[in-house]
Amino acid sequence: MKKIVFSLLILFLTLTMACAKKERGEVRVTLNIGMQDEPKQLNPFKASDVWSWHIIGFLYESLYTRNPETFEIIPWLAEGEPEYDEETRTCIVHLRKGVKWEDGTPFTAQDVVFTAQVLIDFKIPRYISDWDFIKRVEAMDDYTLRFTLKEPFVIFFTSTLMSLIVPRHIWEPIIEEANKTENPLATLLDYEITAPVGMGPFRFVQWRKGSYVKLVRNPDYFATGREVKGRKVGPFIDEILFKIYRTTDTAILALQKGEIDYIWWAIQPGFIGSLMRDESIEITNNPENGLRYLAFNLRREPFNDINFRQAVAYLIDKQFIQTRVLQNYGQALYSIVPPGNKFWFNPDTPKYGKEMSRAERVRKAIEILKEAGYRWNKRPAINDEGEVIRGEGLIMPNGQPVPLFTILTPPADYDPLRSMCGMLIQEWLREIGIPATSTPTSFGDIVNKVNTEWNFDTYLLGWKLGIDPDHMRTFFHSKEVVRDGYNSMGYINREFDKLADASAREMDEEKRREIIFKMQEFIVEEAPYIPLFTSAQVEAHRKDRFTGWVNQLDGIGNGWSFLFLQPYEPR
Amino acid sequence: MNLAKFILGRSLQIALALFIIMTLLFVLFRVMPGDPASMIMDPKMPPEAKELIRHQFGLDKPLLLQYWYYLKNTLRGNFGRSFYYPEPVFEIVMRKLPNTILLFTTAVILSYSLGLPLGKAIAWKRGTRLEVGATTVGLFFYTIFIPWFGLIMIWVFSYKLGWFPIGGMLTPEIWSGQATSLEKLLDILYHLALPLFVLTLLFFAGSMLLMRNSMLETLREDYIVTARAKGLPEKIVRDRHAARNAMLPVVTALSLSLAFSMNGGVLTETVFSWPGLGRTLVEAVLNHDYPLAQAAFLLLSAFVLFANLVADILYAYLDPRIKY
Repeated sequence: MKKIVFSLLILFLTLTMACAKKERGEVRVTLNIGMQDEPKQLNPFKASDVWSWHIIGFLYESLYTRNPETFEIIPWLAEGEPEYDEETRTCIVHLRKGVKWEDGTPFTAQDVVFTAQVLIDFKIPRYISDWDFIKRVEAMDDYTLRFTLKEPFVIFFTSTLMSLIVPRHIWEPIIEEANKTENPLATLLDYEITAPVGMGPFRFVQWRKGSYVKLVRNPDYFATGREVKGRKVGPFIDEILFKIYRTTDTAILALQKGEIDYIWWAIQPGFIGSLMRDESIEITNNPENGLRYLAFNLRREPFNDINFRQAVAYLIDKQFIQTRVLQNYGQALYSIVPPGNKFWFNPDTPKYGKEMSRAERVRKAIEILKEAGYRWNKRPAINDEGEVIRGEGLIMPNGQPVPLFTILTPPADYDPLRSMCGMLIQEWLREIGIPATSTPTSFGDIVNKVNTEWNFDTYLLGWKLGIDPDHMRTFFHSKEVVRDGYNSMGYINREFDKLADASAREMDEEKRREIIFKMQEFIVEEAPYIPLFTSAQVEAHRKDRFTGWVNQLDGIGNGWSFLFLQPYEPR
Repeated sequence: MNLAKFILGRSLQIALALFIIMTLLFVLFRVMPGDPASMIMDPKMPPEAKELIRHQFGLDKPLLLQYWYYLKNTLRGNFGRSFYYPEPVFEIVMRKLPNTILLFTTAVILSYSLGLPLGKAIAWKRGTRLEVGATTVGLFFYTIFIPWFGLIMIWVFSYKLGWFPIGGMLTPEIWSGQATSLEKLLDILYHLALPLFVLTLLFFAGSMLLMRNSMLETLREDYIVTARAKGLPEKIVRDRHAARNAMLPVVTALSLSLAFSMNGGVLTETVFSWPGLGRTLVEAVLNHDYPLAQAAFLLLSAFVLFANLVADILYAYLDPRIKY
């Protein structure tokens, strides 16, 4: 018996190893990408996870897109700038001629009209905010579109015109079927796409669930050969294989061994040291277009007091967070727009405590609180050596002691950066007698307490942002003070509302920029959020396989990289 | 006849247990804070859109009504649709389950077929160096942290020596080309080898130690002394008198570990990037994907209960003292 088992094992091993040594056939340029999970689905109306979008992003195109360096909006499927008429609130967009879907059907204005109609009629949750202010979309002829707006909204240019377009001839029957059912939206969202038809730089070929996804180059890609920022648009890759590695450890081994050329997710700084020693690997470090912040519940004392919030802002040492917690893989933030978003970032907002020593921060915070009428049972002080002598028992101007309060942070296994910042902030506040307690709490629990129940004191969370700064309006506008709204702080300021509304309606970019700058100053001054930091997107790829990666906000895994990548040729 | 009665009685118990489990699952997932819509953190989604999502998923209906629908549909064999995947829940589970079963059940069977004889042998040779050595090695593997051990094995055998792939279940180059079925089969075996080896080693340690302990207990019994006094050959005393009785607790353990092997062990599947059910389960819970999580846990429970029943029946054959 034992002998049989043993010989079977030997046979098994020999066979498998023989199989591994099998020669591969034709020579094609293949980019191998490691992902941590497979896509959930390929339905662009429903998909919400990043892995799905890593695939879907290659298949569809939009009328306009953003320049890889300046983020300036450039025509893509469209030709020339959109012609907006303020009087009639209409906008004419001309389409590029000769563009084809991958099955050979010509792309026309009818596809755009159809896509718009689906998004508007079905009120598709992911897209509706970009489309609900559009009254009509018409095709004047096959290559001319006319959009009519109910009211002017600038995100028409920055979001609506950048929505993806789906082919009418493929989707029309699906929509008709959905409309016959009891719940058309649910039917459409649940529709399973197995063979998507797009027009992007790559075509979908195969997805073996659980294992890999394969795309091949679209030989008829409309933008091939164009020049963008002095670089020729490809793609110069024949195919892309997406392979799945569940842990960063194994993905890195696969990268070092050459099984993959790029890991499409951020790796923790802890891995960087050993990767630096590998000559075939390059590490890129790009800021994330994100915002981690501390928010206050303005419905409660003392957080409703701007002086208190500003004092807290002075006490938080962002420089320390950047150098010690982030190890410089990330950046301290002083505004609500990250500096990497160059056009919209206002460099001149107040910078509480920047370049101040510990003693100076504490002195400033004490001064603010004292002036605002706060008292202490035991006053904090600073001795001659510049050390802080702890204070105790902070009393509000109304005579009540500042109650014990919590800083909700995600737990360390979810995000060690935020939970560590919570601990630091707790200590910095306690030094002058502010009784804060950092409380790591599960993410779902925080969201529930903060967004739904409004039952919290302060919390530390983060946002991933878009290039367009319209998010500021959403975060701080008083109309978002509703259940599940984004203004969970309960920040209500009519003056800000006016600015925010104006920013959404201002169609002139330069004028809008001025308003956006003002809004940043406003929020930093009023401090319903204290911006803390943005982390870095640290990624690893092989140097000896491809060149031409585009470093961008949010890393090198962007559409431009894959359009520009060329096989590496040793000199 | 009596056995039939026993099975009927137990089946009723199982049905009751499953009903209780269904209810518990329903309640447990709902008391978790938040729901799928509240997890969406996208400033482009207005609150009304979230309300719409709740409506789509039927989460705006009263809880009791949701519970009623859930019971009704499950009894009809309709497990519902996932909130995130486009396929019905049952299909998702059935797509991932075979991968998990292939890896874990094979490992359990292999490890028991190696562990039982060895456990028997070392208990028989108690006090010798062989026993001390095997027990120590067994304890080492029994207590080792699987993800760490798995990673070390990947580093040695896949990365350094290059004998095996780093993870996954298929080689895309083979499966997307025109490979024969044999080549595809070999490719799966090639990917299966390393995780199977690691798991077998770990499970093997457990089954060996269990068999050894159980055997040692049995060897102290009077009937073993009797058997020896009768002058029976050592081999017969060991195999027929001691080992057969010592098997009883091991059979229970085997039936349970077969059942638990269904859920895979999230960590093992993660380290080897094995496309199984374990990881899907965890994700479904974290994403508040109620239909998927409920269905998967229910199927797991049903399998565990069923395995228990099988173990009970097996007992009757192994132990003549047990009669139903």
